[in-house]
Amino acid sequence: MGKKSVAQMSEREKKRHSLAAKTVGRIILSSFLLGAVALLIGLLIYGSNLFRQSIDRACKTARLAVASATNAADSIGLSKEIMGIYRGLTPEQRSLMESDAEADRETYRGFYTVLDSVTRKGGAYDVLRHMLRGYKNDVDFVYLAMYDEETSAMVYIADSDQVDPLAPGEWEKVDRDKMMRFLNWDGEGDLYAIGNTEKYGWLCTAGCPIRDQDGEICEFLLVDVSIGSVAAKLTQYALQIGVALLAATVLIAWLMARRMKRSVAEPIDAIASAAVAYVQDKQSGADNSDHFSSLGIHTGDELENLSRIMAGMEKSLAEHEKEITRVTAEKERIGTEMHLAAKIQSSMLPHVFPPFPDRHEFDLYASMDPAKEVGGDFYDFFLIDDDHLCLVMADVSGKGVPAALFMMVSKVILQSCAMLGRSAGEILTKTNEALCSDNQVQMFVTVWLGILEISTGKMKCANAGHEYPAIKRAGCPYELYKDRHGFVIGGMAGMKYKEYEMTLSPGDRLFLYTDGVPEATSGERELFGTDRMLAALNETGDAPPQEVLRGVRRAVDGFVQDAEQFDDLTMLCLAYKGKTE
Amino acid sequence: MTISKTLNGSALTLALEGRLDTVTAPELERELNASLNGADSLTLDFEKLEYISSAGLRVLLSAHKAMSGKGGMKVIHVNEIVSEVFEVTGFCDILEIE
Repeated sequence: MGKKSVAQMSEREKKRHSLAAKTVGRIILSSFLLGAVALLIGLLIYGSNLFRQSIDRACKTARLAVASATNAADSIGLSKEIMGIYRGLTPEQRSLMESDAEADRETYRGFYTVLDSVTRKGGAYDVLRHMLRGYKNDVDFVYLAMYDEETSAMVYIADSDQVDPLAPGEWEKVDRDKMMRFLNWDGEGDLYAIGNTEKYGWLCTAGCPIRDQDGEICEFLLVDVSIGSVAAKLTQYALQIGVALLAATVLIAWLMARRMKRSVAEPIDAIASAAVAYVQDKQSGADNSDHFSSLGIHTGDELENLSRIMAGMEKSLAEHEKEITRVTAEKERIGTEMHLAAKIQSSMLPHVFPPFPDRHEFDLYASMDPAKEVGGDFYDFFLIDDDHLCLVMADVSGKGVPAALFMMVSKVILQSCAMLGRSAGEILTKTNEALCSDNQVQMFVTVWLGILEISTGKMKCANAGHEYPAIKRAGCPYELYKDRHGFVIGGMAGMKYKEYEMTLSPGDRLFLYTDGVPEATSGERELFGTDRMLAALNETGDAPPQEVLRGVRRAVDGFVQDAEQFDDLTMLCLAYKGKTE
Repeated sequence: MTISKTLNGSALTLALEGRLDTVTAPELERELNASLNGADSLTLDFEKLEYISSAGLRVLLSAHKAMSGKGGMKVIHVNEIVSEVFEVTGFCDILEIE
C-alpha cells in the first residue's frame, strides 16, 4: 500500500497532517517546560526571601526583646535562681519532667514554686511573661531559657504563651552541637538555627545571649518562627503562578496556531491545490493554465519564494510544451514531405512491369529499396526508338535528400542526352559536363549505361565508375564482366568516356546493380561481396528476371539478418530472347 | 573510425582506421576543412582503413581538388578492398596512389 495523496485524504486525516496542530502541540510542550523552569526559579528566589524575612524578623525581635528583658525585670537573677534549683535536683527528680503522668510533672514544677520571684504577682517571672507577650505579634514564640551543659538540656525560664505556658524550670533535651554555636557566639551577624521539632514542626529559632556583669552567659532570649507557614505560602504562590502560566501558554499557543495557519498552512494548502488543479488541467488537455502565477502569496519568506518558483516553472513548462508541439508539428511536416518526396522519386523510375508488354524480344525487371526514405540509387530504361533500348544503373554518392536531389538531376540529364540519339560515351561525357558546372558540394554519380540494338543483340556500353555488370551466357553461370572504367560523373570536368561493345545472344542475361548489393554488411561487419552475389544469381537459373531479383534480395536479407540496411539496394535484370517470329 | 594526424612542417599526414562511410565521412571532412589551410601537401595513410563508400570518395575528391593547386595529395598503403573500389570508380586514374 502506497501513501494516500493529500487530495484523497478525509478532513480528519488532513487535520492530523496540519502544521498548525503540530505547532500548537510543540508550543504548549515547550511553554510548559519553560514555565516550569521559571516557576521553580521563582519559587526558589521567593522562598529564600521568605525564609530570610522570617529569620530577620526572629533576630530583630530577639534583639529588641533582650533589651526589654534586662531592663524590665531581674531576668538574670531569675535565671540564676531557677538554674540553681535545677542543678540542685537529683537526676531522678529531673526525670519526673519526662514522666507520662501529669501528677509527676506537677511535682517537678513544684520544686520551683518555692521561689518568690516566680510565684509573686508582679515578681520577675510575672513581669517577664507580660513583657515577652508584647513581642509575640510577629513571631510564634518568645521565651527565655538557659542551656545546662552537664545534662544537655534546655531549661525554660519564662515564655510568651498565654494558653499553655511553660512553667519555670521545665526542660527539654537539645542537641549539644547546635547549642555550642549559641554558647560560643562572638556577637557577629545573626544567631539562628533551623530545625524540625516534633511538637511545633519546622522552626527557625533566633537567639540572643544575656550575660551578667562578669560576662558569663546566664540565659538566652529565644524567638521561634514557624517556617511551616512559609512553605504553605510557597505552595499557594506556586499554584497561583501555575494556573496563570497555563492560561498564558494556552493563549499564546492558540494565537501562534492562528498565525501559523494564516502564514504557513494556508499558503501551503493553496500551493498544493494549485498543483492538483494544474495536473488536472494537463490531464484534460487544457493549456495556458495560471494556477501558480495567480496564487498571490506575499508572506515575504520561503513560501513566497516557493510560489514564485512554481509560477516560473509553470511558465517555462508552458513554453517548453509549446516548443515541443512546434517541433513535433515540424517533424510531422518533414515526415510528410519526405514521404511525398519518396513517392515522387519512386514514381520517377519506371515501375510498371512488364514495361513493354508488346515487345517479346526481351524481358526486364528492376527494383530500388532506399536505405532512407529517399535514396541516391536509380535505375532507368527506355526505348530511344523502336530498335534501341537504353538501360541505366546509377549510384549517387551519399544518401538521403541531397543524394535524391542529385539523382533526379542526373536521371533527367542522362535521359535527355540519350533521347537525342548520342552514343553511350557521348551521353556520359555530356552528362559529366552538365553536372560538373556549378557542382559546389563535390557530389558525383557512378553510372553504367548501355544501348541495346534489340534486333541484333549488339550493345554499346560505357561505365563511369560503376560496379561491373554480371552477365550470363546461355547455359553458363553468371560472371562479372570486367569492362573499361571511366571516372565517376560530376567529379572532374573535361573527362572523356569511352564506350565498348558486347553482343547478347538469345538466352543471355544481364544483371546490373549498385554497391548496396556487394557491400551489404552483416552483424559481424562482413561484406556480402560479389562472390555471394554471383552464387545467389546462379541459384535462380533461368527463372524470370523478377524471380532473379527476389532470389538475390532473399540472399542479401539472409546474410545481413538483423543488421540495419545501410545502403540503397538497387538491381536490374534483362533477359534477352532475340527476335521471335 | 579514428583519424591520427601528423604535421611535419607543412606536410600533413592523416592515418585513417576503420570504415570511411556515410556516418564517418563528415568526420574526415571536418578534419580536412580544419587542417588543409596550413598544409602544402597531404598524405592519406589507408593502411588500417577497412572500407570506403561513395560518401568517403566524395570527401577524397574534395581534398584532391583542394590540394591540386598546392603540393598535391597522395594516398598510401591502400588495401585490396579499397583498391578495388578505386579501380571500379575510376579514382585510380585521378588520385596519386602509392
